[in-house]
Amino acid sequence: MTQSRWLTWLSPLLLLVLWEVAVQLNLLNRVFIPPPSEVMVALTKALRDGSMQHDVLVSSQRIVLGFVIGAVPGTLLGIWSGLNRTVLALVRPLATMLYPVPKIALLPLVIVVLGIGEVSKVATVAVSVFLMVVIHTIGGVLQIDQRYFEAARVFGANQRTIFRTVALPASLPAIVEGWKLAMGFALTLIVGVEFVGANDGIGYRIWQSYELYAIADMMAAVCVIAGLGWVVTVVLDEVARLLVPWRYTTVKESRMSVVRTWWGAVRPWSYTAAIVPVLLGAAIAAQQVGLNWWLLILALIGSIAIQGGTNLMNDYYDYRKGTDTPAVKGTGGALLRGDLTPTQIFWAGITAFAIGAAIGLYLVSVTGPFIFWLGLCSVAVGYFYTAGPFALAYVGLGEIAVFIFMGPVMVLGSYFLQIPTVAWPAVWVSLPVAFVVAAILHANNLRDIDTDRINNKRTLATIFGRDGARIEYYILVGGTFVSQWVLVALGVAPWPTLVTLAMLPLAWKLMGIAGREVDPAALQPVLRQTAMLHMRFGLLYVLGWVIALWV
Amino acid sequence: MDSGVVVDFAHLGVTYANGVVALSDLSLTIAADQAVCVVGPSGCGKTTLLRVLAGLERATHGGVQLSRPATLAMVFQQGLLFPWLSVADNISYGLMTRGATPPQCRAAAREWCERMGLQRFIDAYPHQLSGGMQQRVGLARALAVNPDVLLLDEPFAALDAQTRVLMQELLVDLRRQGLCRSLLLVTHAIDEALLVGDRVVVLSARPGRIIADVTPQVSHGQSFDEIRAQPAFMQAFTTIWQLIRHEVEAQLREEVTL
Repeated sequence: MTQSRWLTWLSPLLLLVLWEVAVQLNLLNRVFIPPPSEVMVALTKALRDGSMQHDVLVSSQRIVLGFVIGAVPGTLLGIWSGLNRTVLALVRPLATMLYPVPKIALLPLVIVVLGIGEVSKVATVAVSVFLMVVIHTIGGVLQIDQRYFEAARVFGANQRTIFRTVALPASLPAIVEGWKLAMGFALTLIVGVEFVGANDGIGYRIWQSYELYAIADMMAAVCVIAGLGWVVTVVLDEVARLLVPWRYTTVKESRMSVVRTWWGAVRPWSYTAAIVPVLLGAAIAAQQVGLNWWLLILALIGSIAIQGGTNLMNDYYDYRKGTDTPAVKGTGGALLRGDLTPTQIFWAGITAFAIGAAIGLYLVSVTGPFIFWLGLCSVAVGYFYTAGPFALAYVGLGEIAVFIFMGPVMVLGSYFLQIPTVAWPAVWVSLPVAFVVAAILHANNLRDIDTDRINNKRTLATIFGRDGARIEYYILVGGTFVSQWVLVALGVAPWPTLVTLAMLPLAWKLMGIAGREVDPAALQPVLRQTAMLHMRFGLLYVLGWVIALWV
Repeated sequence: MDSGVVVDFAHLGVTYANGVVALSDLSLTIAADQAVCVVGPSGCGKTTLLRVLAGLERATHGGVQLSRPATLAMVFQQGLLFPWLSVADNISYGLMTRGATPPQCRAAAREWCERMGLQRFIDAYPHQLSGGMQQRVGLARALAVNPDVLLLDEPFAALDAQTRVLMQELLVDLRRQGLCRSLLLVTHAIDEALLVGDRVVVLSARPGRIIADVTPQVSHGQSFDEIRAQPAFMQAFTTIWQLIRHEVEAQLREEVTL
């Protein structure tokens, strides 16, 4: 981090510290100016009882609704006015006249006309956003260099093409700028609107705290709205990057390649590892009770989000640690090619984890704390898989972590959602899946055995050496089938699950290649096809359980 | 109309809304595969001539006729590339408006980038290209539609002197490769007109009339430096410069008396 980076953080931190110290030394009156620590306590309390979330949600709804209702017609009318002189003559004087009127001044009038309910609040925001957007859009269209229109005409563009390829893109920067300003406006406005005639929302909360003289609560609410403002800015900046890429980047990236880049970073094909255990847990539970589809679907989404987050974090930390170099095939490609920045990957990973966590918390509230502990452990393992000084994947614990968490733990969790008991049979039943999922990881380590050695990345493969690693691969793939046969023989798994025998030839072939090849390029298909084996074996296994419902 | 004639300006007059007479009674024909360069003092209406042909300006008298439905394309001052389109999309713009599919557009863009040495910049946005590269894209955008008549409006005026020479050579080279048929280039640089044109038309000060129509007796097929050294080149240059100088001086005197 450069010195200036430090300095930018220094002044706000210093302010907070001074503030805290001043209050603690009674230089400032605690009643009027509570210290940051008290504000934090107030914020935590408001978050814990859920009242803050409610107010944020209410205010956000008003802002978003008002913004959409104002900005969509505002943009369309603005473009139309900019392109048509008659419409311009009609619209512009009116918009310019109304624009300087402080919209909050209109609130009483709006309340008289529309009543004191939600409609008047949304309408006030919408009107303000509308005017702002209209004026900026008109400006944006009018400032287009006329020569661009001429160039388009010379090259044979008709009116529609000119609109699509010149008028729209040329005015977009100004339009998006108008949206940003209007959003800032909406944020200011909603607070004012909620001061008066509201009984929820963040503005109401601030006013209410003032009336109760709960200054710490008030400051907590102010912090939250500041955070909201920051989030809105970040989101709109992303929108701008998406809509006006030529202002931000030097090279055009087609939409498709953006999708492809993220697809590669998130690696959705690895999601069968996240999907199969969840399906299996539900299928086992379905033997005893009717299925709760809602919980199953949530569990699937949550599991996919956590898997995606893990993949992204993996790339991020592999990249930071320097284990992924262009010589290593497959992983982290987007980062290595520079298509995505480490920061983008990191935040995408955090977002995915946040989605998983949100779903997880909901599931906890529905089914109880067992899921909480399971989820917490899973996220921790996902994060520390490659992160931190004791990264599991670098000390030879990768396979074991994957075996436990992508096998028994996940199956048990999914089972628990359907039937809230910790059932040991669910653990036994998950073993074949645990073997095969660990085999995927090991296929990866087997392929990278030489580069990992150079990079001091300790995996079981590097510890055992190539011959030992081959035996490990045989054990994992063989164990997949053998463990399942044992389960069927003991009557724990139903006999229709033996449909998985269809995968035996593929497994045989893979063991053959793994025992023969040394070249990473030749071992690449082993990795890909072990993942395929996992998916097919897992789905057939689940299918067997589903068939068992009827036979 | 003569079968060899592609463009026929007949008694063309253009008076702007503010009363300025840009052109009055100008007649000029361009033959197939002929490169005509128009020079004249600034403000003489030479750009107006081009804009009438491109359909961007209306004639107040007379007009312009094309011998057959001809495809026109134009290279503008400073390129005038669309900043929101990549180099590839700029090049294929004229193809896209004429209904080419995205793969066809892409193929054409790739071909032209290769020809113009722009391969590395095919997906770049124009703002990061140098002036010379931008104008190469402008040239590619115009030639990609395979025009019957290529219009160039002071295309290299904004470039530095060295780049300008290279661009002039590129244009002549493209013509030699048969990638560019009839050509109407408007410029204030006499040497450019002599180097590029088969015919050089000299316009008077506003309203523009043709005061000379020169066919430079220089032998092409040599390097520009060699052509510049030819006596015929120098003689033509001097003749044209005397004509224009006379016009400009007259114009200045008029302004002083005003």
